[in-house]
Amino acid sequence: MSPEQENILEAHGVTKQFGGLTAVNDVSFAIPQGSIVSLIGPNGAGKTTFFNILTGLYKPTLGRVAFSGKNITAGRPDKIMALGVARTFQNIRLFGTMTAIENVMVGQHARMKAGLFGSIFRPPWVRGEEQRVRAKAAETLEYVGLRSGVHDQLATNLSYGDQRRVEIARALASEPRLLLLDEPTAGMNAQESESLTRFMQKLRDDFGLSILLIEHDMRVVMGVSEHVTVLDHGEKISEGEPQAVRSDPQVVEAYLGKQEAERQRAEQEGAV
Amino acid sequence: MAAASLPAAQPAPLRAVRRFLSSYGLILVLLAMPVAFGIQDLRTEGDLSRLANNLLDGLSNGSVWALVAIGYTLVYGIVELINFAHGEVFMIGSFVAAGFFGTIGLTAATGGAGLVLGLLLTLVLAMLASGVLNTMIERVAYRPLRNAPKLAPLITAVGFSFILQNVGLLWRGGSQQSIIDLVKSQKELFNVFGVSVTNGDALAVCVTIPLVLLMTAFIAKSRLGKAMRATAQDPDAARLMGINVDTTISATFMIGGMLAGAAGLIYALYQTTVWYFQGFTAGLIAFTAAVMGGIGNIRGAVLGGLIIGFIQQLSDNRIGTQWTPAIVFAYLVMIMVFKPSGLLGEETREAG
Amino acid sequence: MPELPRNVRIALTVAVIAFGALLPLFVEGGGGFIDDATLALAYVVMALGLNIIVGFAGLLDLGYVAFFAIGAYTMGYFGSLFHINVNGGEGLHVLVAGPAAELPGIHANFLIIVVLAIVATTVAGMLIGLPTLRLRGDYIAIVTLAFGEIVGRIAINGDEIAGFGTKLTNGRQGITPVDKIDLPFSEPFTALNLRPWYWVAFTMVLIVLFVNFRLRDSRLGRAWIALREDEVAAVSMGVPLVKTKLLAYGTGAAFGGVSGAFLGSYLNTVNADQFQFAFSIFILAMVILGGLGSIWGVVVGAIALSFINNRLIPDVLNDVPERIGLDFDLTELSFGIFGFLLVIMMILRPEGLIPERRRQLELGEGIEDLAKTGDDDDPVYQARVP
Ligand SMILES: Nc1ncnc2c1ncn2[C@@H]1O[C@H](COP(=O)(O)OP(=O)(O)O)[C@@H](O)[C@H]1O
Ligand SMILES: [Mg+2]
Repeated sequence: MSPEQENILEAHGVTKQFGGLTAVNDVSFAIPQGSIVSLIGPNGAGKTTFFNILTGLYKPTLGRVAFSGKNITAGRPDKIMALGVARTFQNIRLFGTMTAIENVMVGQHARMKAGLFGSIFRPPWVRGEEQRVRAKAAETLEYVGLRSGVHDQLATNLSYGDQRRVEIARALASEPRLLLLDEPTAGMNAQESESLTRFMQKLRDDFGLSILLIEHDMRVVMGVSEHVTVLDHGEKISEGEPQAVRSDPQVVEAYLGKQEAERQRAEQEGAV
Repeated sequence: MAAASLPAAQPAPLRAVRRFLSSYGLILVLLAMPVAFGIQDLRTEGDLSRLANNLLDGLSNGSVWALVAIGYTLVYGIVELINFAHGEVFMIGSFVAAGFFGTIGLTAATGGAGLVLGLLLTLVLAMLASGVLNTMIERVAYRPLRNAPKLAPLITAVGFSFILQNVGLLWRGGSQQSIIDLVKSQKELFNVFGVSVTNGDALAVCVTIPLVLLMTAFIAKSRLGKAMRATAQDPDAARLMGINVDTTISATFMIGGMLAGAAGLIYALYQTTVWYFQGFTAGLIAFTAAVMGGIGNIRGAVLGGLIIGFIQQLSDNRIGTQWTPAIVFAYLVMIMVFKPSGLLGEETREAG
Repeated sequence: MPELPRNVRIALTVAVIAFGALLPLFVEGGGGFIDDATLALAYVVMALGLNIIVGFAGLLDLGYVAFFAIGAYTMGYFGSLFHINVNGGEGLHVLVAGPAAELPGIHANFLIIVVLAIVATTVAGMLIGLPTLRLRGDYIAIVTLAFGEIVGRIAINGDEIAGFGTKLTNGRQGITPVDKIDLPFSEPFTALNLRPWYWVAFTMVLIVLFVNFRLRDSRLGRAWIALREDEVAAVSMGVPLVKTKLLAYGTGAAFGGVSGAFLGSYLNTVNADQFQFAFSIFILAMVILGGLGSIWGVVVGAIALSFINNRLIPDVLNDVPERIGLDFDLTELSFGIFGFLLVIMMILRPEGLIPERRRQLELGEGIEDLAKTGDDDDPVYQARVP
């Protein structure tokens, strides 16, 4: 990462403890403006916890997070979202009894103004706002590839793939500058993952979005990210270009266990 | 790293105050009344014997609340449900006991061995009745809703509480009914330094302590107790380990109900009155006790019960019985504000 | 069930309103039916208020009676002989005509009292809401219940608390008589002709219905439902937790206050014995019977339960147990009946008689997974009290 390139998000020494368990330990980390970076690591490494700290769901025990130069450490989630950080969840969290389009409209909550009295008396500007927001929600749903026939279906009744799409649309509708995706390809087949990879690049190019991706599928990670950070047991054990990280022995060990890592190393040495 | 020591969003003094309040706020709140009245007593009477008497009466009241509170805590620990009907289960226990006195011919004149035997028999019966009732409620009103949104079983619990109140109303009418004072509950047994220990106090303590010890041992040692703890920790994992979760939950309701039944008997003997509405207030007081101790924690429930008993007695004795419910509820609200995890409760995930 | 076409819906709505408005003309003006109907309408207002808190925002409030009490006491304070010594026994009169204008005590116009009741209950609703914000659903239920009981206790024992030359409440004796409603351009209301009372209640219902529909289909309504469905997701999507929940408490409470003020005047007494936990459950049962979150459902539920409680049980079915050889009256069973209703509804038809459109649409099974909050693997939002 070149120094003149501005970072949209910076985390310094972020630590999170749950009672005795240190889920994230002194992690520093930056996302360059307009880039796609990945956070990987075995299950329970602390990736989701790190996301929750960035989005304000958890207060970090120590450390500082800044979004485009502004300190957002332990800020309120809704305020952080209003600043331009949107996310999806590892296990989809749509509002089940709302339709797809209503879900996406909630995503625009922070971009709307109607309050209690505006909602009750519904003056022309509120009417206009509702129409704009609904139109934009429909447009965003189309953009993520949801047929207009299902826009008015309840979120629970959508297929798994469509639910993932709606969740991304809900995040996008808030016009974020940084998008956080928590294992978006979970439960997808190779082909779907492949198309999601292309979709992320398209997002970046269309909107100038920066994207932080938590991902298990190495093909997706290698295919899309410019920078990879690896967590294990809450600690950052490696970071850098995807290729370099992939061959880092510590990373291999974290993923495969010590024995397997040694066996591979021996094999490689034998081959040389 | 320098960045790590940067202050977070909240200014430091405020954080310190907040941390202090969340650790000691509840204890301060709890100490306020006794300390204030203690000072008042020292000023006006020169000693603390009135406070000590309050404490003793409070502890015997409190042992009843402790027994009821354990039922809340056990059930909450295992199914995360406030068993709203638990207070009514306690009330039915009282009614069964009071009705049974006559059936087996206990009178105020019965003495010695006959009384002990009769009361033991009544104890067993009240415990069984309340235990079976509680298990049945679980089966009918909670089990069908185990996968429903959380509010659903809470609403059926409220519903059942009303049904049982109505049963009580039909059974013994709408007003307080006095029952025979079998143990001469207000008679002084002995007196130490001006603190008068009555028969009722002795009875409350003599029934509660063995029951609590027995139950703690049961949960710690027995297979069923282990199954209960495993299910409370993680029902799915428990199921995988071959534990029959349904049976375990039923057993938990059974035990909780039995303790409430025992409490019902003590209450009847101690207060010498019963009425259909006693369960509502008792239920809320005992629930307050359970939350105060840290819900899910048995020792906490006992501790909370005793403390609430003391607070209740102070209020009854010094402010007026008509204000006691309001004061207990105010404590409940304060606990929720300062420390929802209670005195001995583990920090819940939210608090992490 | 498909949505009805727009013009059919409009026609239906107009027909229902016309029927409701003209109904009193066809019945006796001082009779039992119009009395029941007026009470039922007042309960509809409360049930719709509670529906905002429980049905829309998903906050189980078991202490709704507190708002009834506060609204009724506002009426009692500013429209009766209660402050009899005020102004040296001369009384204070604000825009009142008729008999009240001559009496000692404070007497304000009913419309002013309604505004005061709205302010008082909104503030109370938010105060009661505040400590519950960081709590989980079942604790919210208990804390609101505790508040309701505290308010009830203060009402009952308030005659022991005095200051500024007046008592806090009249306790069990109640504040009575209470001023009759006195609106501009109309004769003061009387107990002999109940039609005007009915029309006032009917107007309140129309206003409250309008507000409910508008709120449901608005930014705020979506935010409430989002919070109800998944708090963590909602705040992550930009919904401010504290503000949105407090608005639900405040708005829902205000309806209780309006209805409470009306009932204070209509029943001609503000009696502390009315403000019991059972009343909160009575209103809750209306919401659940009709369907949580369903506006028309709640209206139907409230009217049904109100008639069952005030007419069917005491008058029509009261001697049924006797006739089959049991020695009690059915009125003694009324709360058992409501309890039974709660249990049965929750187990057999949790969506209510007329389910909310959303719940009606839902066919799949996934709903339970999505609607269930507090899943163990999920991050739990660390809510903060401001
Ligand atoms: N709210 C919480 N309370 C306690 N422990 C938690 C909480 N959230 C996460 N953890 C723990 O923190 C660790 C990291 O979890 P997580 O961030 O979900 O891992 P990942 O997303 O990398 O799989 C795990 O051991 C998990 O059990
Ligand atoms: Mg994760």
